[in-house]
Amino acid sequence: MSDATHVSEGHELSRKGLSENSIGLIGAVAIGLSCIAPAYTLTGALGPTVREVGVQLPAIFIVGFIPMLLVALGYRELNNAMPDSGTTFTWATKAFGPYVGWMGGWGLVAATVIVLSNLAGVAVDFFYLMLGQLFQNPALADLTNNKPLNVFTCLVFMVIAAWISYRGMQTTKKVQYVLVGFQLVVLAWFVIAAVLHIGNGTAFDHTPVSLEWFNPFAVSSFTAFAAGISLSIFIFWGWDVTLTMNEETKGSKTTPGRAATLTVIIILAVYLLVAVAAISFAGVGETGVGLGNEETQDNVFAALAGPVMGPFALLMSFAVLSSSAASLQSTFVGPARTLLAMGHYKALPTRYASINPRFRSPGFATVMAGVAAWLFYAVMRFVSDSVLSDTITALGMMVCFYYGITALACVWYFRREAFSGARNIVLKFLAPLLGGIMLVVTFITTSVDSIDPAFGSGSEIGGIGLVFLIGVGVIGLGVVLMLVQRARHPEFFQGETLRRSTPVLNLDE
Amino acid sequence: MRYIVGYIANERGRDAVALASTLAAHTGGELDLTMVLPQAQPPAARVPSEPGYDELLAEQAEEWLKEGLALVGGQLPAEASVRYAESFAEGLIQEAEEEQARMIVIGAGRHGLLGRYSIGSVASALLHSSPVPVALAPRGYQAHPGLGRVTCAVGTRAGADNLLETAVDAAARQRIPLRLISLVAVGAKGAAASETSTEQARTHARTVLEEAAARLPAEHEVTVEVAHGDSIEDAVEELQWHEDELLVIGSSRLAQHNRLFLGSTANKILRSLPVPMVVVPRNYSPSGGDGAARKNG
Repeated sequence: MSDATHVSEGHELSRKGLSENSIGLIGAVAIGLSCIAPAYTLTGALGPTVREVGVQLPAIFIVGFIPMLLVALGYRELNNAMPDSGTTFTWATKAFGPYVGWMGGWGLVAATVIVLSNLAGVAVDFFYLMLGQLFQNPALADLTNNKPLNVFTCLVFMVIAAWISYRGMQTTKKVQYVLVGFQLVVLAWFVIAAVLHIGNGTAFDHTPVSLEWFNPFAVSSFTAFAAGISLSIFIFWGWDVTLTMNEETKGSKTTPGRAATLTVIIILAVYLLVAVAAISFAGVGETGVGLGNEETQDNVFAALAGPVMGPFALLMSFAVLSSSAASLQSTFVGPARTLLAMGHYKALPTRYASINPRFRSPGFATVMAGVAAWLFYAVMRFVSDSVLSDTITALGMMVCFYYGITALACVWYFRREAFSGARNIVLKFLAPLLGGIMLVVTFITTSVDSIDPAFGSGSEIGGIGLVFLIGVGVIGLGVVLMLVQRARHPEFFQGETLRRSTPVLNLDE
Repeated sequence: MRYIVGYIANERGRDAVALASTLAAHTGGELDLTMVLPQAQPPAARVPSEPGYDELLAEQAEEWLKEGLALVGGQLPAEASVRYAESFAEGLIQEAEEEQARMIVIGAGRHGLLGRYSIGSVASALLHSSPVPVALAPRGYQAHPGLGRVTCAVGTRAGADNLLETAVDAAARQRIPLRLISLVAVGAKGAAASETSTEQARTHARTVLEEAAARLPAEHEVTVEVAHGDSIEDAVEELQWHEDELLVIGSSRLAQHNRLFLGSTANKILRSLPVPMVVVPRNYSPSGGDGAARKNG
């Protein structure tokens, strides 16, 4: 008995209680919707998208889904082939080697950090708006325009969310379900209220619905089209999670596919109904609550909910605040774990790989993600005229960048088996290739166009568009950090920690 | 007899291993170092979580557990397990129930600030719901070759038979002296009232002493002490404590059947107690509830 004191080398310790968190179809759909957080996404994306494509907002929302779908199909194949290693960083490293893999991981982390800052920013706006509505005191709502106070409030939200994540606590699925249900109810309320106003002739600027709104070819220029697509990618970002949930969904193999389909039908319906109702109610004019008004484009529901829903606008504030706060918290998990994996493979300093013994969570990586997100927000708040819409435009670019890399990684990884059978040709080659190309083209077009200081909201520094500076600046910073890490710790870049690989060709499939 | 050690790779974890080593030393017990990890699936978010992370976390846990096993004293048999659960307390209780363990041992030491114990959220959750006794190691506890004495806080009122049984059992098994204590806080009450309560405590303690003596072999050493002070904390400090001593205390009357709950008196004792403490659930029976002992004869 006494020799059992020490576990011998390589001895596998028992792991107990690992439950397959099985969820049914409805649960999977709820999770998919919860990832997208439709109330938050709409308030952030409606304004900037109208600015780019005007009344063709519904058309661009539909077209924007196509590359997302194509890329997600490729994602699913990668996920099935490498279930244990898998997001952009490891996939792209295995397909293209360390440099592209590093940049893919950086793109994912950067996009997440930017969305964290945007989520916190939206939460701050709606926090003060809700206070103003609760106490019927517009001065309280205006507090959000006080930059130092705004940045400080954002810091408080960020610290709370990071702290919860640091302690290893997580929002339960039940909370997620309730928040999603609430958002859908409030958005439906918004649509119905807008329609009633239109019927009563009390709409702000009634614009009759036209089939032209659904015609993507009516968009004025390719620049506007690409910018619109980039924003649409942002609004569907997170949908692909439903496709890759195959490990935990109950019952048959068809559940994830059905869940993903149902999710996208619901989300498209919600987006289109809200978009059509909003345009029809408020028009795209540049005054008042018109969707073309630069003053309100940043945060559409903040301006529009009041005129549409009257005193019940409070519910909209609460829906957006709760969904962005919950998203803020659950979004912290992703980048922290990617950073930890990068640290583990020595792609980042080893401190990033440290796990907090007490809370058994990626402590250092979580703190760094929070610090970066808050700093990004603080800087943006002071240099940008419309911080939220500029951030979202840059975010769309960043998502195009790393989704594009992932899609092309899929094509390259499966190159040997791609042509064995019709299914493989479509799912492992054509879909990710087309999706990847669309995203890369969107990324490059938007990057080039955004050099123009008039691009987006018109924020600029030294005659160069702010969106360009953010997008290209963040990627450039990634290149610099990558080279620094290579100079200090070349192991990862010499393929010593994570190797390039391709799947064994399996012709039986 | 199995002792589940709620292991964390820090000072508290080391304190817990040291205490469990001491407890198991003479009883032929074995240690089960259990590290609880969060259920693998985080709530879904816009950005999928790196699945490789779960493997990295498990590897780290195993590395930590190997360090933990190296801390186990003497020639004690010990093994380690990783358990996934919603919370630390839940994981330890599941492990204890599955392994029919005799006790759960955790470090409850306060590191950094004043006092020797701090009942954090983990200990607190455990004390509210464990079906088996929970041993709390104070800060910086050092392993001993065995226990030197068992002290049992018998309170001033009747009840808690099972508590005495547990303490007597522990003393008899390890052939060490048993000390029965009764703590009286005289602070707020008047002199007359405190006379009465001290007298009550004495009477009760003598009854318990007789009971204990009846259950132990004739030559076994049993003593009784009534300690009073302005507060329970003062009363605890008035007593002499040996380094290799253990305090056994019952869970509150408020506790559900077979579940622990740390009463207000126990909480006060913790504030000034220099030795480890075992909290025994109400209605827990060392012979009846200890399936492992039964199984192994």
